[in-house]
Amino acid sequence: MAKEPVRVLVTGAAGQIGYALVPMIARGIMLGADQPVILHMLDIPFAAEALNGVKMELVDAAFPLLKGVVATTDAVEACTGVNVAVMVGGFPRKEGMERKDVMSKNVSIYKSQASALEKHAAPNCKVLVVANPANTNALILKEFAPSIPEKNITCLTRLDHNRALGQVSERLSVPVSDVKNVIIWGNHSSTQYPDVNHATVKTSSGEKPVRELVKNDEWLNGEFISTVQQRGAAIIKARKLSSALSAASSACDHIRDWVVGTPEGTFVSMGVYSDGSYNVPAGLIYSFPVTCRNGEWTIVQGLPIDDASRKKMDLTAEELKEEKDLAYSCLS
Amino acid sequence: MEFVGEEIDYTFVIQKVLVLLFCVGLSWKMIIYMCNLLNIEKDPIRVLITGAAGNIGYAIAPMIARGMMLGPDQPMILHLLDIEPASSSLEAVKMELQDSAFPLLKGVIATTDVVEACKDVNIAIMIGGFPRIAGMERKDVMSKNVVIYKAQASALERYASEDCKVLVVANPANTNALVLKEFAPSIPEENITCLTRLDHNRALAQLADKLSVPVSSVKNVIIWGNHSSTQYPDTNHATVSTKSGDRPIKELATDHNWLKNEFITEVQQRGAAILRARKQSSALSAASAACDHIRDWFLGTPKGTWVSMGVCSDGSYGIPPGLVYSFPVICEKGSWKIVQGLSIDAFSREKMDDSARELAEEKDLAYSCLNA
Repeated sequence: MAKEPVRVLVTGAAGQIGYALVPMIARGIMLGADQPVILHMLDIPFAAEALNGVKMELVDAAFPLLKGVVATTDAVEACTGVNVAVMVGGFPRKEGMERKDVMSKNVSIYKSQASALEKHAAPNCKVLVVANPANTNALILKEFAPSIPEKNITCLTRLDHNRALGQVSERLSVPVSDVKNVIIWGNHSSTQYPDVNHATVKTSSGEKPVRELVKNDEWLNGEFISTVQQRGAAIIKARKLSSALSAASSACDHIRDWVVGTPEGTFVSMGVYSDGSYNVPAGLIYSFPVTCRNGEWTIVQGLPIDDASRKKMDLTAEELKEEKDLAYSCLS
Repeated sequence: MEFVGEEIDYTFVIQKVLVLLFCVGLSWKMIIYMCNLLNIEKDPIRVLITGAAGNIGYAIAPMIARGMMLGPDQPMILHLLDIEPASSSLEAVKMELQDSAFPLLKGVIATTDVVEACKDVNIAIMIGGFPRIAGMERKDVMSKNVVIYKAQASALERYASEDCKVLVVANPANTNALVLKEFAPSIPEENITCLTRLDHNRALAQLADKLSVPVSSVKNVIIWGNHSSTQYPDTNHATVSTKSGDRPIKELATDHNWLKNEFITEVQQRGAAILRARKQSSALSAASAACDHIRDWFLGTPKGTWVSMGVCSDGSYGIPPGLVYSFPVICEKGSWKIVQGLSIDAFSREKMDDSARELAEEKDLAYSCLNA
């Protein structure tokens, strides 16, 4: 008996992350190989023709799980009945633009999308904000969609999490699937803190702490952290375009684990609404280590935090507080 | 049981042998089952993508890494090849693949060296080629591509794994595949194919849309011929699954005029339509179709279903041997076989021959470029 299709919204769908993401969703990577989907794709009128081109290609791919495609420039039509919303659309930072300008454009976008989602999305719609500044866009969305449960509004730090796993696995020359439980704390920006203090590697004699196997704290506390923090810029430098493939893939991982659950003994990183855990100020969207079960995420509690980590976690919280203030000043 | 003197009681022996075979078979199945439980991982398969820094490469690499091409339990190592000017973008693709932490992806080799790229590969997806730029004559595009495919043929023949399966995507796909075959004589010709699955999938989608049915309930269209505007999308043997079983398309799509005209042109010209809308050629759907082509070749087509593949003609259906021509095929145990015995009406015959003629011309053009 086939399942009922799930409606998935992708905003900014005519862009490059959208183009990478929609075939992944249509192949069952986001929600499972037996979960039919209906894609809702939204973009601005300027991109309407390109958006239609994406719809045509999705149709041409004859995906068995894809039960329908709605390609539209109308936010209401896009949001109607959606169960999952991946917000990729936003105003990209162009050369010469000040932070305030980027922030200002994006808060207007996320304020209006908040209304549309709140009014028209399905109850219990799960929201993932990808467009930068991801954490603050998610915060704005939350503030202006008060009837969407705050636990349903998240931002993407799974890309940084996966990048950290990748760096550790390269360093140790082990398969990346043997590495787990890194943590990305904080803002999806260069103040993020990639923390390996609780990360482990599967070996023939069981799971061993990453620090023990790497045997190079200088690297783990220095180059490793800056490589992960600045990976986005490194990709832009090499491709002349920002990461789409890996961002799309991580967005699928984020939603899949949220909906289907994390494997036993494994936690992942998600930007979620802070409840004050780990002395992170409440009222920010901050990346924490979480486990997921029955469609809900829970912050992993009780992990010991050393001084060095504390400093870094506080630094990124401060940046988020400043971004929040900037966003509100733009709105006023 | 009676022992009749010194005679061997064959019934007895046969019974013993059958019981023995049964026990051995059952034990073997139990061993395989237990091995699967222990999750003994398969050896990784090496997959080469040429032109990997381009749009189709960027779309196909994550699809392969997620198991869409080879199945959810088949690990792989990706070999990514592109030309020197694209080496920075190529490196970025490798970085992004690492950043995605794909469990099945056991390694990435990103290189501009064709030898390193071809070494030991089990599957080769040839996306790299010289694209047609505005103002270029067919002869010029052909000329550039035959040189590329001649060189890649040598490298594949010398360095790829013996059983390497090749899929040519870059246009002119059929003729590039032909050139590759001619210059890699030690690669079995059944291992050299070109992509017409994209057209096949497009045809399925157009039919599904016309009938307002899910695309997964339509099957057995055929794409005959060249992956070009002379391709012939044939619905004469296509079916739709309904509550009362599989019914011929022609029974349900009563507008036969549409099937013989607009439907055909729609599929033939879909590539151009995508180009107009996106200002770029189809990457997403081409990548997806390439995965389907390899997956069905590798893992087998579902029972009762055939697909379209550009393969070396053996003369079936009156198509001249020595061309790479799209036929309806079924796949089993890693091999494709042309579906035989399908009735061909006069309308179809003409179109199939038209496309064969174009391929013969392309072949001549290719050879004239090589000899120039």
